[in-house]
Amino acid sequence: MRATLRVLGILTASAILFVLVRETNAQAGSPSPQPRVNPTQALAIVVNRSNPIDNLSFGELRKIFLGERNHWPNGHRVAIAMLDYGQPERRTVLRSIYRMDEKGFQDYLLREMFQGDVFVAPKTLASPTIVRKFVFNAPGAIGYMRASDVDASVKVVRIDGLLPEDKDYRLQIDEPSPSKEP
Amino acid sequence: MKKRSISGTSSLSAGRKLIRGSWLVRTLSRHLSIVLLFLVLFGQTGVALFVMRDLSRSNATVEKMYSGSVQGLLRIGDMQYEAQETRRSTLYALTTADGNQQVAYADQSRNADGRVTQGIAQYLAEVRSDREARAGQQLAKDWSDYLKVRDDVLGLILEGSPKEAVLLDLHLGVSEFDHVRRDLDDVKQSYDEQASQQLATVADLSRRSMVRLTAALAFGMSFGTIAIWAIQRSRVRSAEQLAQLQMDFVAAVSHELRTPVTAILTAGENIRDGLALNRDRLFEQGSVITDQASELMNIVEQVLLFSATRESKLAHSLRELRVNEVIEHALRSTQSLIKEAGFLIDTKIEPDLPPIIADLPVLSQCMQNLIVNAVKYSDAKRWVGISASRDWEKNEILMSVQDLGIGIEPSEVSRIFEPFYRSPQVIGAKIHGTGLGLSIARRSAEVFGGELTVSTEVGVGSVFTVHLPVAKDIGQKEARAESPTTGARA
Repeated sequence: MRATLRVLGILTASAILFVLVRETNAQAGSPSPQPRVNPTQALAIVVNRSNPIDNLSFGELRKIFLGERNHWPNGHRVAIAMLDYGQPERRTVLRSIYRMDEKGFQDYLLREMFQGDVFVAPKTLASPTIVRKFVFNAPGAIGYMRASDVDASVKVVRIDGLLPEDKDYRLQIDEPSPSKEP
Repeated sequence: MKKRSISGTSSLSAGRKLIRGSWLVRTLSRHLSIVLLFLVLFGQTGVALFVMRDLSRSNATVEKMYSGSVQGLLRIGDMQYEAQETRRSTLYALTTADGNQQVAYADQSRNADGRVTQGIAQYLAEVRSDREARAGQQLAKDWSDYLKVRDDVLGLILEGSPKEAVLLDLHLGVSEFDHVRRDLDDVKQSYDEQASQQLATVADLSRRSMVRLTAALAFGMSFGTIAIWAIQRSRVRSAEQLAQLQMDFVAAVSHELRTPVTAILTAGENIRDGLALNRDRLFEQGSVITDQASELMNIVEQVLLFSATRESKLAHSLRELRVNEVIEHALRSTQSLIKEAGFLIDTKIEPDLPPIIADLPVLSQCMQNLIVNAVKYSDAKRWVGISASRDWEKNEILMSVQDLGIGIEPSEVSRIFEPFYRSPQVIGAKIHGTGLGLSIARRSAEVFGGELTVSTEVGVGSVFTVHLPVAKDIGQKEARAESPTTGARA
């Protein structure tokens, strides 16, 4: 009985000490050891305005980007527009859609083209503006850009029925934009 | 010629023409050249106005041509270039696999096609005929068709299907672009035709202006030559007339001088040769000598008086004169002549005539010349009428000398006041004279602010009238009565 009380007393004291230490640290206001996380931004998937597709499931989107689906329902060949290397939007697409890193993506492309499963490699374009113009000029084009870069020349496709501004939209850029285009 | 009624003339009644010297005819004949030059100036001004109007229309046409056809041709040229640029940029995209470069070419193509579309819209907004409208609408349709093909070709290139893009362009793009090119050529041709028409209009206006200018120059040169010829001819004729008058004067004066000189010579010879044997014969020859010497003196005085009046060398002694006084003085001076010729003088002077201002000897000489002329040129009726009256309307004194003589031909009336002039009719009738009497008389009347007029009818007679202002009115005409040498004023 006495031993049981001693154990309870030690546990209680330890708990009180833990609480006190934690309160003390909280009152001292010491900086968090974790870096502040930048606000995320939605990544819009855009197609040519003549494209009849308005909504894609995430699975269909992944198949299109992986080259497993080559044509749209209207018969136009799918042309994928990728932003240039190292840009946050590209890294987001590689991570979220391809689920690969840059090297894995390159290896995948080489393999698929060598095997003849992919006929046309994705176009690598320098800026969101060029992506927008590419999608505007090519009826079968599909590309991506920050939701803030979208204008009326292209059409935003819903992913799983959600637009970039909707809650629970899957494609989010968790890196800051390197530079805002004019 | 002016008509003028003269009070106191009985035999020459109303209806006779009063000829006051045909000033208008003489002025016109003297200044014919000036009239011609004015005609030339007037004609040249008229032609210049026409030419200026043509030039103005020509300029307007050129401006219209430039703003319409030339600018239109320039626009069509730009559109042709931009259309080529549209197609060229599209096909350039085939030359690279770089997506960025392909997008840049697509941008160039779309910019160029935008300029073509804008040019077509401007052309359609400015069309002026149905033909142009049809050509513009066809161009717009064909251009739209081509752009659809261009969009497909561009899409295929960007999607990575160059082979399909080339096939589509060869299959449809080439033919559609040929339609566009043909349409642009049609529009260009319509502008060319417009420009040609306007150019033809300008050429026509220029040709017309040249013809008018040439005609104006020919007209001006012709009339200028005629005017110069008329001036020279007028001068030559004046010189010839002056020379003829001087010769006539010399002949007349010589003739007038020869008669008394011959008489004096004969009388002298008679005395020298002892033909005047007794006192009566001697007296007779002496009388001939004195009478003829007096005649000689009279002729010389006439010539000197004319010279003096012409050169305004006379110094007038102006004073108020009664009309009676002047006429009586003139009659006294010509009494011997009238008596010798056996003339009846009929004098009618209105009572209470106001005075005039003049120099008595000069004015009397004027009247004497008129009386002598009346005696000289009268026929067998031997009657001279002298009258004086007042023209209340003009407030003038009229002193007239009327004869029932041979009268004066209408064509001669304008010349009888010229110095030395003697009409062929008078010369033919062998009536002697120097031709200075009327010239001196008119000059004398003018010196005192008046004038001398004549009313005449051939075979009936003549009336010479001196018009002089009454004394109270003389101040208004004092400038005319002023003596140039003395400066005396009435």
